[in-house]
Amino acid sequence: MIELNEATKRYGTKVAVDRLTLHVDAGELFAFLGPNGAGKTTTIKLMCGLLFPTSGTVRVGGFDMEKEGDRARQLISYVPDQPYLYEKLTGREFLQFIADMYGLSRPHGLKRIEAMIELFDLCDFVDDLTERYSHGMRQRTVFAAALLHEPRVLIVDEPTVGLDPRSIRLLKDLLRQEANRGTTVFLSTHSLDVAEKLADRIGIVEHGRLICYGTLDSLRARAALDGSLEDVFLVLTEEAMREREIAKGA
Amino acid sequence: MPPSDANSASQRSPNTGVAAGQLILFQWLRWHLLRNSLTTLFHGSRVRLFTIVLCSAIIWLGIYAVSVWGFRRLEEHEIPFAGGIIGTLFDMLFLALAIMLIFSSGIILYSSLYSAAETSFLLSTPASADQVFAYKYQGALAFSSWAFILLGTPILLAYGWVFAVPWGFYVLLPLFFLGFVLLPGSVGALLCVLLVHYAPRQRKQVLVAVALILLAVCVWWGYRVSLSARTAMVNADALQRLLGQLAFAQGPLVPTHWMARGLEAAARGDLAGAFYPLALIWSNGLFLYVLAAWTAQRLYRRSYDRLWTGGTLRRRYGGHWLDQVLNTLTVFFHPQTRLLIIKDFRTFRRDPAQWAQVLIFAGLLLFYSVNTRRFYQRDIGQVYQNGVSLLNLTATAFLLCAYTGRFIYPMLSLEGRKFWILGLLPLQRERLLWGEFAFSATGALVIAELLVILSDLLLGMDWAVLVLHILTVGVLAAGLSGLSVGLGACIPNFRESDPSKIAVGFGGTLNLVLGLLFLLVVIGLMAAPYHLLAAVSLERDAPAHLPVARLLLGVGAGVAVGVLAVAIPLRLGIRALRTMEF
Repeated sequence: MIELNEATKRYGTKVAVDRLTLHVDAGELFAFLGPNGAGKTTTIKLMCGLLFPTSGTVRVGGFDMEKEGDRARQLISYVPDQPYLYEKLTGREFLQFIADMYGLSRPHGLKRIEAMIELFDLCDFVDDLTERYSHGMRQRTVFAAALLHEPRVLIVDEPTVGLDPRSIRLLKDLLRQEANRGTTVFLSTHSLDVAEKLADRIGIVEHGRLICYGTLDSLRARAALDGSLEDVFLVLTEEAMREREIAKGA
Repeated sequence: MPPSDANSASQRSPNTGVAAGQLILFQWLRWHLLRNSLTTLFHGSRVRLFTIVLCSAIIWLGIYAVSVWGFRRLEEHEIPFAGGIIGTLFDMLFLALAIMLIFSSGIILYSSLYSAAETSFLLSTPASADQVFAYKYQGALAFSSWAFILLGTPILLAYGWVFAVPWGFYVLLPLFFLGFVLLPGSVGALLCVLLVHYAPRQRKQVLVAVALILLAVCVWWGYRVSLSARTAMVNADALQRLLGQLAFAQGPLVPTHWMARGLEAAARGDLAGAFYPLALIWSNGLFLYVLAAWTAQRLYRRSYDRLWTGGTLRRRYGGHWLDQVLNTLTVFFHPQTRLLIIKDFRTFRRDPAQWAQVLIFAGLLLFYSVNTRRFYQRDIGQVYQNGVSLLNLTATAFLLCAYTGRFIYPMLSLEGRKFWILGLLPLQRERLLWGEFAFSATGALVIAELLVILSDLLLGMDWAVLVLHILTVGVLAAGLSGLSVGLGACIPNFRESDPSKIAVGFGGTLNLVLGLLFLLVVIGLMAAPYHLLAAVSLERDAPAHLPVARLLLGVGAGVAVGVLAVAIPLRLGIRALRTMEF
């Protein structure tokens, strides 16, 4: 469903994403981990067609993001780390806008809006202007909008920041359910416990390079460690940093 | 394919209507945003709405009254070539407005297409690039052309009133306006997209180069016109020569001339003669719009990518010798206040859009001052010299008012959601305002005193006038800074990140109106009485017996008004800042 082939992205002379090759299947929940500035958000922006690769290709749902980006985006929902809401629209109007943007027919759109309001428990505030929403209310509205059109690919960047434990639990259940329903979920996060519990496969990126990816067991084997994902992550990223320093010295 | 995919695909609208669907959807979005904003405005502060309407009405009526007076003089005094003068005035008016619209729509479109959070949201949805462009273009055009409506309509309605034009003129006027804004708006949009796409890293340098070339052309042309204008007042042939120098704006291929020609035909009742230029304006405007949208469809997403990834990931910003100079100059302030001044100065100097505007304004005023000396000093005499000196002082005061309104008033608002950083600092909050005040007043004093001293020296004014002007400018700089800093704290707008939008909002408009009133009062009390008395004695050719005591009383009253303009707004601002939650 998501295919990156030798995708490289440069910011001037700096390489943000370095020859990244990655395939994520339909119905898979893929967790994308890495230290700050490793290239996670740039990779996500390449997948959404907000940025284009300097070399290599990015395809979503079989569509090349450079040539058929509009068709690919029809399949995608992207929830960034700082999601945008129109402050002068109510939550319901925002959901209506999203339904129309993704071309849902009016009766189906209305049905889906009601379903999302119920699922995310928005009814108390959905008719207020979003400028009055708290962080949690905003996050719930954004997820409702993201799932409204039943996307085939859900890309989520740091979804748990600022959420209370109940909302985090709700979110985790939801992401798992979506993957079980056949949606490809690409989750970028620093919450290693969330990744450990939810992900089918995990990828770790460091300085733009995908240093390893696979199931948690395969990563443990690679790190020669039978510990938590946190331990595995630290060992693998430090190893990659050391290798990079050696290569730089040579 | 999972079952939900097949299900949802069958429930989607057909793809054939996607473009039309998005067009309608964006209009729906605009309408809902507007409706909800207006509802909030009406249910919020009525005073705020009333002030906005009142300020706009005052400006509109002021321009209307001046225009009626000007057209009446042309009509009553049987000035030679009156028709030619009005035609040329229209040409120059529309040319100036067109240039203004090209720049303003281009700059507004740049910030809304490339740096707004809404844009990255829209670009991650299936919205097509040309539809996003069209939606943003309409917004930019509406935002940049309100000034065109505010400045243009009273002049044209005054023209219609004085010359008793037929009703067709008033019917066609909005059609001409609407069609006309498409032309410069589309040019600005096209330039914006092309510039970002082809020179994403050099866009600032290209813009500065274009601005400098334009400035050079204006200076050269202004110099030539001023030479002709010097003799045109007394000589009909010279007047014709002067009109000839403005003929470049009257070519058959110049769109602003279509506007002038069409409106003049409408004013004569020649509807056939008006429809042809109207058709030219609309067809060319729509063609340029289609061209801009077509260009955006191909280049917008790519240019967005180039802009955001064209530079390096991190850019190193070090100290600058100017920071050191300012640090030394402000050594007498409390260290915390000094730190805040340096912080504000750094923010200011790292934003070329901010300081370039001050430089352009000051450069134009400097050019004007230098030219007026050539224009008046030797040829016309002391009466005009005296008047021009007052005019220069007033122009400098207007520059100060624009500077404090545009750059100082939004400063606290620009802290935005980061205000908690300042709020949590171990310093008394009033220091924030005193820091801003010191920063503003110092900058304003340096620029304005230099301009006014230079202008007076070039005009050969007496030392007493020089001292009077220096004192007046000092009071103006302090008072306008106090007003802007104080009101900026009383009516902050933490939601907006664009300083130009903060400056034209409710608080900014109120600040501007109060600033204008203040400068008129201060000049009226401190400088105008001297100049009026001097003008009377010069005209009578009698030695001046100036009532020094009364003049000094005026100066004292002006200083007192200045002190109040600093003390009251700052006091209110400090009180608001102390209770501000973040």
